[in-house]
Amino acid sequence: MLFNSLSFVAFLMIVLALYYSKLLSWNGKKRMLLLSSYVFYGMWNPPLVILLWISTIVDWTAGKKLAIVTNSRSRKMWLILSMVVNLGFLAFFKYGNFLLENFTTLMHTIGWEFQARPMDIILPMGISFYTFQTMSYTIDMYKGKTERARTFLDFALYVTFFPQLVAGPIVRAKDLITQFYVPKKASMNQFIWGLFLLTIGIFQKVVLADALLATTSDTVFDSTKIIHGLDAWIGTLAFSGQIFFDFAGYSTCAIGIALMLGIVLPDNFKYPYAAIGFSDLWRRWHISLSSWLRDYLYIPLGGNRHGITRMYVALALTMLLGGLWHGAAWTFVVWGALHGSYLIVERLLRPLVKIKINAWNGIFLALLTYTCVNITWVYFRAKEFETANNMISSMLLFNREGEKILPAAEIMKVIIVIVGLFICHWIMRNTSMKAVSQKIPSWLLGIIWAILFFLICIAQGSGEQFIYFQF
Amino acid sequence: MAVALFLGLALLTSWELYWKSQGYFSELDDNKALWAVNRAKVDDLSKDDVVILGSSRAHFDLQLNEWEHITGKRPIMLASDGTTPTPVFKDIVENTNFAGTVVIGIAPGLFFNPIEKGFMWNRAQVRIDHFYDRTYAQKANHYLSLPLERSFSFLNASEEQWSDDIDLKTLVQKFQFGNRTEGPPPIPFNNFGFVDKDRNVTMFEKTKTDTAFANTVITAWRVFSSDAPPSVLEPVVGFYNEWIPKLEARGGKVIFLRLPSSGSFRERELKNIPRESFWDAFLAETNSAGYHFEDYPQLNQFTCPEESHLYTPDARVLTKELLQILIQDKLISKTN
Repeated sequence: MLFNSLSFVAFLMIVLALYYSKLLSWNGKKRMLLLSSYVFYGMWNPPLVILLWISTIVDWTAGKKLAIVTNSRSRKMWLILSMVVNLGFLAFFKYGNFLLENFTTLMHTIGWEFQARPMDIILPMGISFYTFQTMSYTIDMYKGKTERARTFLDFALYVTFFPQLVAGPIVRAKDLITQFYVPKKASMNQFIWGLFLLTIGIFQKVVLADALLATTSDTVFDSTKIIHGLDAWIGTLAFSGQIFFDFAGYSTCAIGIALMLGIVLPDNFKYPYAAIGFSDLWRRWHISLSSWLRDYLYIPLGGNRHGITRMYVALALTMLLGGLWHGAAWTFVVWGALHGSYLIVERLLRPLVKIKINAWNGIFLALLTYTCVNITWVYFRAKEFETANNMISSMLLFNREGEKILPAAEIMKVIIVIVGLFICHWIMRNTSMKAVSQKIPSWLLGIIWAILFFLICIAQGSGEQFIYFQF
Repeated sequence: MAVALFLGLALLTSWELYWKSQGYFSELDDNKALWAVNRAKVDDLSKDDVVILGSSRAHFDLQLNEWEHITGKRPIMLASDGTTPTPVFKDIVENTNFAGTVVIGIAPGLFFNPIEKGFMWNRAQVRIDHFYDRTYAQKANHYLSLPLERSFSFLNASEEQWSDDIDLKTLVQKFQFGNRTEGPPPIPFNNFGFVDKDRNVTMFEKTKTDTAFANTVITAWRVFSSDAPPSVLEPVVGFYNEWIPKLEARGGKVIFLRLPSSGSFRERELKNIPRESFWDAFLAETNSAGYHFEDYPQLNQFTCPEESHLYTPDARVLTKELLQILIQDKLISKTN
């Protein structure tokens, strides 16, 4: 079920009505939320709820054993069981076809005419998100960083909580399960703020991503022609805006919906296009994934505790795997590799170049960072390397005779939206929406809210899927 | 929140009233979800039932109310604008037990196209795929959208992305300046009909009364015709010779129809897809029953306002006249 759909509106109204009715005890409300979450997921493909159940049962059992067992070998075995099941799901459902294709290519390269039958595996929606979330619980249990969930219901709800089930934020057990222990109810202010965030999130998705930017991005990246440099840049900028509004929109909706239930989810985006440098970018973009990769991959790989070389290797591996997490294709690996390279270069330059950041050089460095990020988006969005390489050539002005495929008005539209996006991120980079909202009069906030609502209605979104559902 | 609610509703009300004043009215979108709902009905049909396949010509020209009134059975309308009916025919023969009558409207430029490829085929295949792949959430979204689409004029955006849709994306796209891209600017292609829940079409009155509006559609036909691939016969014959016997083997039958076109559109059809080489040859080689409007004065009395589809009052007359012929030839029976 998509947040930007009528069925979700009906679903949410029913859930809220039951949640705030006096019919149910707190345990009853949690059971209702759990059942609702399965319905939310099953409305897409009911049999795949079984994967959620398996993941839940395996990690609940592993967590329970890890809380009791003291023998280090047994503990390790329970951890490995959880890893095997969760990563096994990911390997089969997400990377099965990719692995088979690459195996076939390898066989052909060495001269063996191997032809595999296509597996036609369905990619379960949000599998990368909920497997990472459940794994974090088991790993934290193994390391003694979190307490065992008090009841199976609390744990199952942690794995399945519908606002963040299919596209995050990826929440740690200690941040979410503990909220289920005591009855929760949103205050009137929380509820209204949650509804406002839901409106903002849907506005980002339906109006900005789908209505204003998606067509331009699709036109450019689906083109089979060698295109003009300006068109390549505009298409890439449009995609940079589209993916931000799409994904940040989802996270904002998730945070807003949870808040309407009195549950607090962490921020997942903090105005990333105003980042100065790439370490700053990853503290602002998809924060719950980057912190997951830091805690469960980069640090276990050695982090910065074993010398510079090991640190760079750990960084590069983390970003490569982070790229692969986004999709089973080599283009995503290149995307990760580019980000890894940026981070390494930044760390190499840090001791050599000392800059005191002020407003003027800050905005220049933010623009430079954003420009470099746009280069990586080309590999993220392009389906083939040939498309990506042609795009990069055009962007670097090597294709001066490239075809102009975008009308002037469309270029203007993207420039207006992207300049607006960048300015907004720059202004907001050290503050939050909540803080800003508290400074402006409530009537003005009401007018802004009304305009957002109006634009969502007239955009008439056709229920386009969120980009990150496929990851 | 009260300010937001009040102002938001005020803005929407003003928007709705504005578009009503511009002649828009609430209508259903003839999208893949609506098509899939009607496709699902085929699974439960009897031997007396009729399924209509084809392109927009069969969609506009065969009126379900008249058909039901005369025969006692309301046909299932699966004809889709800008598609070839061939993949849908295959789907019905291959994936259902339907043993009734399949009426297939042949719009020559769309029908005599290569098999399993091309724009016309893909458009039909998208709808078939949606029928099989639609999720429970998509089904629920469709049913929840129906009362809203029936109620509000401003919800006037189509999956077809007509040039005169009034969703935000289309409205923004209307702002154009300069001539940066190579090639001719895109031509406007406006909607000229609306459907009910059974996908029965009514042509907008302005298509008949507003010549300037009709000319925008005629221009679109001219441009589309110039971009069309050359028509082919043998692959289409081969395909139907494979699938028609399978339907007939379980008691079903197929009737082909060639419905009217007019003016320059008709001239292009006569020149590029001559009757003898395509329609007559197709019927002969597939040994099928077919009815060409030119062969019956009662079917050849109409002029299409935009050269390719009948104005709805004319379509009603044509449907009645056609049914008299089909009943007389014992191809369609009355069940009432």
